[in-house]
Amino acid sequence: MTSVAQPGPDAPSPSSTPPGERGSIISRGTRVYLRTLTPADLEHLSAWVDDPFIERMVGSEFFQSYKHVWDKSPAFFEAVLTDPTQVVLVIEAYRGWTKPVGVVRLFNIHLLEGYAFLETIITDPRAMKRGFGVEAGKLISYYGVDVLGLRRIEAKVYEYNTLSMNSLRRNGFRQEGVLRQAGFDGRRYWDLVIFGILKEEIESQRKKDKVYLPLDPPEGNGREPS
Amino acid sequence: MGVVEIEVRDQETPSDAAQALESLTRLRFAGPLTSVTAPSLRAQVRTAVRDGQTRMLIDLQAVTALDAAGIAALLEARRVLEAQPSGTLVLRANGVVCRALKDTGTFAAFALWNGPGM
Repeated sequence: MTSVAQPGPDAPSPSSTPPGERGSIISRGTRVYLRTLTPADLEHLSAWVDDPFIERMVGSEFFQSYKHVWDKSPAFFEAVLTDPTQVVLVIEAYRGWTKPVGVVRLFNIHLLEGYAFLETIITDPRAMKRGFGVEAGKLISYYGVDVLGLRRIEAKVYEYNTLSMNSLRRNGFRQEGVLRQAGFDGRRYWDLVIFGILKEEIESQRKKDKVYLPLDPPEGNGREPS
Repeated sequence: MGVVEIEVRDQETPSDAAQALESLTRLRFAGPLTSVTAPSLRAQVRTAVRDGQTRMLIDLQAVTALDAAGIAALLEARRVLEAQPSGTLVLRANGVVCRALKDTGTFAAFALWNGPGM
């Protein structure tokens, strides 16, 4: 499923941006494809980092870094591009979407030890609950195994972010523990739930490669009892 | 009192190391070595190994960017080559490459050669 290709005619982009500036497509799924970040994406990033809902649900260090450390500087693009400890890919939906629907990344990549952390951010509320985040997480997990040689991927989720927890479970992640009151949303402390998946489990998911419909009922009910 | 002899070599005479490097198959890579271009490096290494070339020097002097996918490709090259009898991999790296290897803790995983004789 993981493939590397230049954007083709079946990767519609409604903009008139030249192909070279649209980034390279790294992986294609049935609903979304993942492409490399481009300088033009900074405009989207600028809007996303100011969205309080995204900040509360994800608390992304990536977004915080762009906003606070880099002060939304264009130099952030180059810094991301040359950062060998993370892979940042933009999520594009196939039809009817004029803008990217989010970002997915592997970060704190430890190539020798074979593990990394996953963060999937669906930024457009209309794109939520459509399976886009699930598929984006799946595609980048395959990429992590196939291209980066990862054998384990980890994710942290705020205890109130049931949507993300269910997305991870749908991709075969298992709840591995809870970091008690490790997250702060500006008002109070929340538990962080740790999820993990091993290479064999990713391969097992790949064999199934079941396409989840948006209308599928959510799995589980948020955090499992510890 | 001992005498310290300093061997002054003719610049035209290649060093032992440089002579040893002569026996390696050379693969030169220029531009960004990233998720977009790393598959090409993987393919070239695999082709070379299939052709029986298992002692390789990958010249990265002209590489302008190196990301996780690029480093993963280099690690795979090392694994593939070192799995062969007498297989070896030497990298010729520039500052960009060295920094990326250092940032990812993979610096010590590679044999590096930055001297003359190339």
